[in-house]
Amino acid sequence: MQFIKLFTPVFIAIFLILSDYKYAALDDIKQTISTLIKTPINFIANQASDLYQWIDQQGSDETEDTLRKHNDHLTNQIIKLKTKLQAQEVLELNNKKLAQLLDVSYTVKEKKFTLARVSNISQSRLKKQITINKGSNDGLKIGQVALGTEGVAGQITQVTPQHSTILMITDPTQYIPVQNKRNGIRGVGKGFSSNQERLNVNFIESHLDVALGDVFLSSSVGSKFPSGHLVGRVSHVEKHINDPFLHIQLTPIQSVSQLEFLLIVSEQ
Amino acid sequence: MMTFQRPYLFLAKTTLFALIISSAPASQTLLEVSPFWVLLFFIYWLINFPAKGRFFLALILGVLIDILHGDILGQNALALILSSAFIVNVKQSFYVSNLSTQQVYVFSAASIYLSLILLVHILTQGFNFSYYLLFTPLTSALFWPVIKLALSKCRH
Repeated sequence: MQFIKLFTPVFIAIFLILSDYKYAALDDIKQTISTLIKTPINFIANQASDLYQWIDQQGSDETEDTLRKHNDHLTNQIIKLKTKLQAQEVLELNNKKLAQLLDVSYTVKEKKFTLARVSNISQSRLKKQITINKGSNDGLKIGQVALGTEGVAGQITQVTPQHSTILMITDPTQYIPVQNKRNGIRGVGKGFSSNQERLNVNFIESHLDVALGDVFLSSSVGSKFPSGHLVGRVSHVEKHINDPFLHIQLTPIQSVSQLEFLLIVSEQ
Repeated sequence: MMTFQRPYLFLAKTTLFALIISSAPASQTLLEVSPFWVLLFFIYWLINFPAKGRFFLALILGVLIDILHGDILGQNALALILSSAFIVNVKQSFYVSNLSTQQVYVFSAASIYLSLILLVHILTQGFNFSYYLLFTPLTSALFWPVIKLALSKCRH
């Protein structure tokens, strides 16, 4: 009897592991329970940090002069970015014209950006993830990509009405197609569990040209991530005898410790 | 003495509190070395409250942790069931032991918990985890006196 009492839940747990890992059969149930329990728990758990932020904002000793300087700096940045945007719009227009001339069906898709604040860096011991303060109420969905100010941060894996969880590109279960900015060589980036600030790049053949300091960008192969966003800088390259591929390590350009806001990309 | 219904109410309250602590914002390293909060609270409940369906409750709590943390469903559940089975097995001895011996039992239960979550992780995602995790049984054992004191205050 004692045997049954113990081993029935053990078998149920093993069944859950297999069904979740192999078949993702329980995703809908998981999502429903997650919405029910995550929202109130996250709300309570984040109260302390919200209070700290509020106090920090109240007690800010920024004088009018500092605020004015800050405002001027931001206005300058907006002007610079607007100028860059104009160039981008011209390129987009040229792209459309060329596509029409060549009778190509490919078009650049319009994208919508949602600004979200990071509310929690990580919850799981075995995953590198962050929680943001926007969820399905703001139109966010599983699979959407999160961008930091410097580059790609990760991808949404869980959504509740008020919060979303983002799996970072440095997580070992997250794969990101990348390409070398200098020569276009493509590979697949994958994180390390044991190291916060490293990414491995796999499947780049050993005769190809990759040097220290090269910058890798996201590639749209697989249509998972938008192309052209900064991913990481090469910090280690090694060629092994009898190994057809190079051993490349990247230092992510978007550091997790500096993250405060994220832009969630969704296609319109 | 407590009435019959209260053990489950006490478990619900303490579990909610443990889940909130484990979800509180923390850096990656701090999170990795932090104790298995739900396990510690559950050990206290197992030792002090005679109740039925302990392993099924462990399964439910484990599944809640899996969902809350976005881990593979059943990973924490399996670990919590088997570490609870260890505690149930040494329950009599645990109850009469002094605090240091209890810490040794908690360390062993936390080691079983860690071994099982790492086993599932390695089998599904390969040998790739932070070595800070290996300190978790130690921090769990160190926090046991605090948890025991706090919960015994709450119980009365």
